[in-house]
Amino acid sequence: MGLRKRSAVLAASAAAAALAITGCSSSGSSSSSSATGGSSSSASTSSAPSTLTVWRMGASVPEQVTWMNGVVDQFHTQFPQFAKTQVKVVWVPWGNRTQDWNNALSSGKNIPDITELGNTDTPTEAASGILASLTSNLKSWSGASDLVKGMVDNDTLNGETYAVPWFGGVRAVWYRTDQFKAAGITSTPTTWAELAADAQKLQAKFPGTYGFPAVTNDTNAFASFIWGAGGQIATQGSDGKWTATLTDPKTEAAIRYYVSLYTTAKVSPSKYIGQTELGNTGATSGGANEDFGLGKLDMYIDGPWGKATMPKNSVDMANVSSFPIPSQNGPDAAPVFAGGSDLAVFKTSANQAAAWDLIQVMDNPTNSTSFAKLAGFFPPYSSAISNGVYPGDQFMAGFAKAALNGQTAPLNAKNWATADNGQYLIIPTMLKKLMNGASFDSTVAAANTQLANVLNTGNQG
Amino acid sequence: MVKTESRRPGRRSISSSPAGAVTGRLRRRRPPSSSPRPPGLTARQRAAIWVRRHRLAPYLLLIPATAVIAWLILWPAAQIGLFSFQDYGLMQIIGAQPTQWIGLGNYSQILHDPEFWLSLRITVLFSLVVVPLTLTVGTLVGLLLSRLGRKMATFVSTSALLAWGTPAVSASVIFAWLTDPDGGIVDWSLSKLPSWLGGGPHWAEFSWQNSALPAYTVLTALLVWMGFPFIAVTVLAGLRTIPAELHEAARIDGAGPWRSFWTITFPLLRPVFMVLLMLSIIWDFGVFTQAFVITAAPGNRDEFNLGLYEYFKAFTQPPAYGMASAIAFILTLILLIITVGYVRASVKQGEVR
Repeated sequence: MGLRKRSAVLAASAAAAALAITGCSSSGSSSSSSATGGSSSSASTSSAPSTLTVWRMGASVPEQVTWMNGVVDQFHTQFPQFAKTQVKVVWVPWGNRTQDWNNALSSGKNIPDITELGNTDTPTEAASGILASLTSNLKSWSGASDLVKGMVDNDTLNGETYAVPWFGGVRAVWYRTDQFKAAGITSTPTTWAELAADAQKLQAKFPGTYGFPAVTNDTNAFASFIWGAGGQIATQGSDGKWTATLTDPKTEAAIRYYVSLYTTAKVSPSKYIGQTELGNTGATSGGANEDFGLGKLDMYIDGPWGKATMPKNSVDMANVSSFPIPSQNGPDAAPVFAGGSDLAVFKTSANQAAAWDLIQVMDNPTNSTSFAKLAGFFPPYSSAISNGVYPGDQFMAGFAKAALNGQTAPLNAKNWATADNGQYLIIPTMLKKLMNGASFDSTVAAANTQLANVLNTGNQG
Repeated sequence: MVKTESRRPGRRSISSSPAGAVTGRLRRRRPPSSSPRPPGLTARQRAAIWVRRHRLAPYLLLIPATAVIAWLILWPAAQIGLFSFQDYGLMQIIGAQPTQWIGLGNYSQILHDPEFWLSLRITVLFSLVVVPLTLTVGTLVGLLLSRLGRKMATFVSTSALLAWGTPAVSASVIFAWLTDPDGGIVDWSLSKLPSWLGGGPHWAEFSWQNSALPAYTVLTALLVWMGFPFIAVTVLAGLRTIPAELHEAARIDGAGPWRSFWTITFPLLRPVFMVLLMLSIIWDFGVFTQAFVITAAPGNRDEFNLGLYEYFKAFTQPPAYGMASAIAFILTLILLIITVGYVRASVKQGEVR
């Protein structure tokens, strides 16, 4: 599926510039020039690769390209032995990621040296054996001690760490303050009933728009409704065995509510059925994200990174704000999926040392914080988070609030990627069938059985 | 062939194959091989004589093509056959885990998968609609072309062939745009139509993608559009072989176009129609590219046909190449059964000689 990738050679000119810099500063060993300390690359000085390939997820964003150029410059300065190494960034649409990893691995061609992974992918990919263990590298890296422990644990399997957390992110509901004011809504909704009522109010006030999109293929967002009703998707026993809990009355209430946004509240159009928040699976823009930008949607759920993919002629972002996803009965917000991305080294990469050195630069506290701020993420460092990343930012307020109540399980279960975006799109297909009028009890029960089987065995049995 | 042999059992004793029968005849005509060789022949000349005597030239000429087909099709097909009996995934491809023979495990798992039966049903129903539709439209256009003047015929056939020549992905994207819920011309037109024509505002943002019936309606239109030109041109070529006197005689006898089609054109072109029918079934059964784009496949698992089902078994997490190979084999088997049925039917009608 190389067709869908857009690649950009970032550092052609940067490499030349860095040559000049390193010409002046190439005294001493690489470790002494590294601001963040630690270098594992002394052995590889003799074999500097000509190119390092980094797979990024999503669509190419100009600010992030600029950020990466800066990182590559620092990489060349801090590790003079790689001063001539070019860094090539390949953008992979989120929907194609597992397929592209597998294709790279099975064909042995176009292998990334470094890949970004969603934090829910890391357990799966670590178990499938495509990632190199970074345990010993992390031990000698000064950045490691301040990393948020929960995030590192997520990347650790049987005592080996296979990826380094790069940033965290949470979703919240986007809305427009000017629209709320015009529709006479004075406070943001904190219960499901208020959310649906406000969506209907907005839709009535602004004809031609829809109030709130019930996107089916975004389980990371839908999970908040299940958790906000006190339900779970699946629970793991002490023996490691998963029990699917979609038929739990609390979870069923969430499913019913979400489906009703389309079927009875009619605040969501049919086109979002079968779509992610970015449109069709594999697309890098479109869908609810684009429609909100164009003013066709009054609210929608996304992370702050959604700004990057909104169209150029979007509504005035100064009026855009966020509130945490409401829970069933309020007043506290629903728990939110603690998402984020990790950086990992591909096991079959020939440039293990260089790849790790580049990760050290990309993910040092300064760079990861500046990167996080580009897109509304949170850096993976405890001290940075406790200092407050977005003080006084109106748009970020809802996200910052939501981030206090994060949950990851079972979205980081080993077979979750298989269940939710690989062989089986269990919850999306269930929601889709229900919205298309399938019988509730049998559809949910079938999905529940399938989910239990996939989480436990990796296939539906 | 079976009947012929049973009637003349003596033939078998002369030779067991048609090629042998040929050499048998040759031996009678030419001096026996034990006769003294003409002196002074080089090895090359002798080889040439040997080849000629055994009539091997056609087979020698076939070797390059056969080799390419064997390399590109037969060998991969054999490998797929092997994989279908193995637990063959990513770990086996990179050699991290040994390959395990699991007998019919893949097949039984597929036959117990409701998704397989759903995709089979979609595939069969879809073919049942698209094949006759493509053949009908194609034949009608072929008949039209045969009656048009030279200039008009060139214009119509060029336009039609452009549709046929459009790359599958481009054509699919165009159709996806035409039926896009946001400003697609189909939705817009339907929403402007009066309600007694089936139009109305509810079409304004109608999504053709997210359930099987609308998606396959669009796919039907697309495949008929892409498929009819080939049928039309082939039928036209067939029509040119029918002597004009036949139609003239029919007209004098008072037969209308309907009657003369079914009593003259169709019986004479039956072999052509049979081939077109077979090809259409094979194409529409295995359609993948267009279905992938039109159904926005990765997100809509309940709209899979067999091709999409197989593809996603093979290439989504975790890749199950063994399982996908088994599906490929089942698909091949279904098409083989149809093909064998067709060959039997043609043999019975004496069309294969």
